[in-house]
Amino acid sequence: MIQVQNVNHTFLIGKKGKEKKVPVLKGLSFEVEKGEIVAIVGKSGSGKSTLLHTIAGFMSPEQGSITVNGQETAFLNETERAKFRLNNFGFIFQNFQLMPGLTAFENVELPLKLKGVSSKKRKTSVKQLLKKVGLEEVADHYPNELSGGQQQRVSIARALITNPPILFADEPTGSLDSETEQDILLLIQDLNQTLGVTFVIITHDEEVASIADRKFRMRDGELVKGDTGYVI
Amino acid sequence: MLFKDQVDFVSQHIKKNKLRVFMTILAATMGCAFLIVLASIGFGIQDTMRKEILEDQAITEVEVYPNDGEELDISKIGAVEHVNAIVQRTRMEAMAVSQIENRSLEGNMLLTNFAQEEKSNLKLSEGRMPTKDNEIVVGYQFAENLLTDAERKEMEQSTEEDAEPIGGYKESLIGKTVSMSLQSYESEEAFSETWDFTIVGVTEKPAKDWIVDTNILLDESWKDKLQEVYEVNMEEGNTDLFFSSTKIYTSSLEHVKSVTEELKEMGYSVYSVSEQLEQLDVFFMAFKIGLIFVGTIAVLISSIGIFNTMTMAVTERTREIGVMKAIGASPKLIQRLFLMESAWIGIIGTILAVIISYAVSFLANWILPMVVGSALGEEEFQDLSMTFSLIPWQLVVIASIISIGVAMISGWRPARKATKIDVIQALRQEL
Ligand SMILES: Nc1ncnc2c1ncn2[C@@H]1O[C@H](COP(=O)(O)OP(=O)(O)O)[C@@H](O)[C@H]1O
Ligand SMILES: [Mg+2]
Repeated sequence: MIQVQNVNHTFLIGKKGKEKKVPVLKGLSFEVEKGEIVAIVGKSGSGKSTLLHTIAGFMSPEQGSITVNGQETAFLNETERAKFRLNNFGFIFQNFQLMPGLTAFENVELPLKLKGVSSKKRKTSVKQLLKKVGLEEVADHYPNELSGGQQQRVSIARALITNPPILFADEPTGSLDSETEQDILLLIQDLNQTLGVTFVIITHDEEVASIADRKFRMRDGELVKGDTGYVI
Repeated sequence: MLFKDQVDFVSQHIKKNKLRVFMTILAATMGCAFLIVLASIGFGIQDTMRKEILEDQAITEVEVYPNDGEELDISKIGAVEHVNAIVQRTRMEAMAVSQIENRSLEGNMLLTNFAQEEKSNLKLSEGRMPTKDNEIVVGYQFAENLLTDAERKEMEQSTEEDAEPIGGYKESLIGKTVSMSLQSYESEEAFSETWDFTIVGVTEKPAKDWIVDTNILLDESWKDKLQEVYEVNMEEGNTDLFFSSTKIYTSSLEHVKSVTEELKEMGYSVYSVSEQLEQLDVFFMAFKIGLIFVGTIAVLISSIGIFNTMTMAVTERTREIGVMKAIGASPKLIQRLFLMESAWIGIIGTILAVIISYAVSFLANWILPMVVGSALGEEEFQDLSMTFSLIPWQLVVIASIISIGVAMISGWRPARKATKIDVIQALRQEL
């Protein structure tokens, strides 16, 4: 499903003319299989988010190749990447990243609008999905009228609405209390099992990582040696 | 994204920032309305002058002059398409002294062909066209200038500049017999030969107030007889005794131009209303372009507002744009959404501006004549039929293109900026 091969990336930090080179990704290689939950674990600053950004096509790594669903992402231009994301990826962010001016329903509806789905079809599928994530009661609420857990459910629904094969979650429970965290993790597991969606979860939290089928541990831009990534 | 959803998306954003968008639209409206109203003055004055030209004269008339020493080839001119009538009036360089009862008038004689005059649509205020040799048509002011000796004396003594005509012939001249004799400009006395004519028609009031028409229109067959009499009475003949002017009448105004062109090609000097209108149009084309240019500056100034508003909108929504891009909105779509927003501002501004401009134009045409009229005094007030401001649809189209175009151009950079927003940076922004 996802092949990451020898990915390197270096950031330039500091004032112009006196930049320091900071290598963030150092020759990363791994694969993600269809239908599994993979966790990328590591301390803050180890380069997890940067790795996700390269896979998602938000940025291009300096070196290395990333292939998703047989498509090498480096070969795509901006517009093609956007379309590729729309069709293949869903995103769950730490701070939910909902549109403040849209209701829960409209937030979930947004990717379908981008895809050009008709209003009638949208209504039925959004309703269905909101029911599945347990939000039918608050469909008309705006994000600031929802709890953190509810907001994250909205964002999960938004990520799922287009039925993408892959979901990325960057610290999905980072802004939630531990009880709500459990709810969300259960939801993710449920969605993985019932819908067969592949999850790539990025977290510094071992608790979160525990739901994964496989774990990759990152340290200073590298996968920790000896960590095979297979179920521990 | 479906177009309807794009429109929804844009209108949702506009609703969120009502006041800001309203102020921007207001600026766009003012700029565009200024442009339309300013240019409408050019259109209005042109319209007034066109009307003046078309009212003041026979609009289907084409004056044609031969080159020095040449003659007009009447048959060739007659063959030109759409030529309706060729009226050649020949003026005799001698006074015609007319006598009715105890009244007399010294005027001029014009020899013409009444058949052609009739075809040219010569309008009479009274009577009919002559059919016999001894029938004539006289000028509109012929009657009021038929004076008795006493009246003439009184007139000469009157010091007032524009005193009302004293006396004159009060009854209708139709059917009256006038006895006419010739008198050279140099001599004191009229020649002894006299002819009796019957007045059958009176011409229409001249278009211009200052023209006094006391001419006698007489059939051209009289030319030889008149010349003979003149030469008998004067020792030396006058080579320039007759002076012809030729006017051609086309079947309608639209053919004036083609006839004018064709006559010019024949090598004649030509003068027609189309010539005059053309010069007027050339002048006003330049004038209107100048006004539109000045008005466009106002539109450009208002576009700074649009630029600011859109830049603000993009900056404010950086995070949202980032999320949109992350979940799969293409840069093209994002650019289009912002361009639609600035176009919307431009379109609403233009629509309001057009409505306001028509109102201002209407008020100006209603109030300004009163103001100008009262400044000029009561009398002119009546005649003042001026259009100060005219907004033809072409002006609306031009102004709309400029206004909406400028709005979209000024929204272009902010829209480009929106497409360039970095997803990672945008997502990092605090809520
Ligand atoms: N745009 C950037 N410019 C410079 N340095 C960056 C940039 N993005 C991330 N970094 C640096 O790269 C390192 C890894 O960051 P990140 O991938 O966010 O780590 P993690 O998600 O594991 O906490 C950090 O040291 C961070 O400061
Ligand atoms: Mg991170």
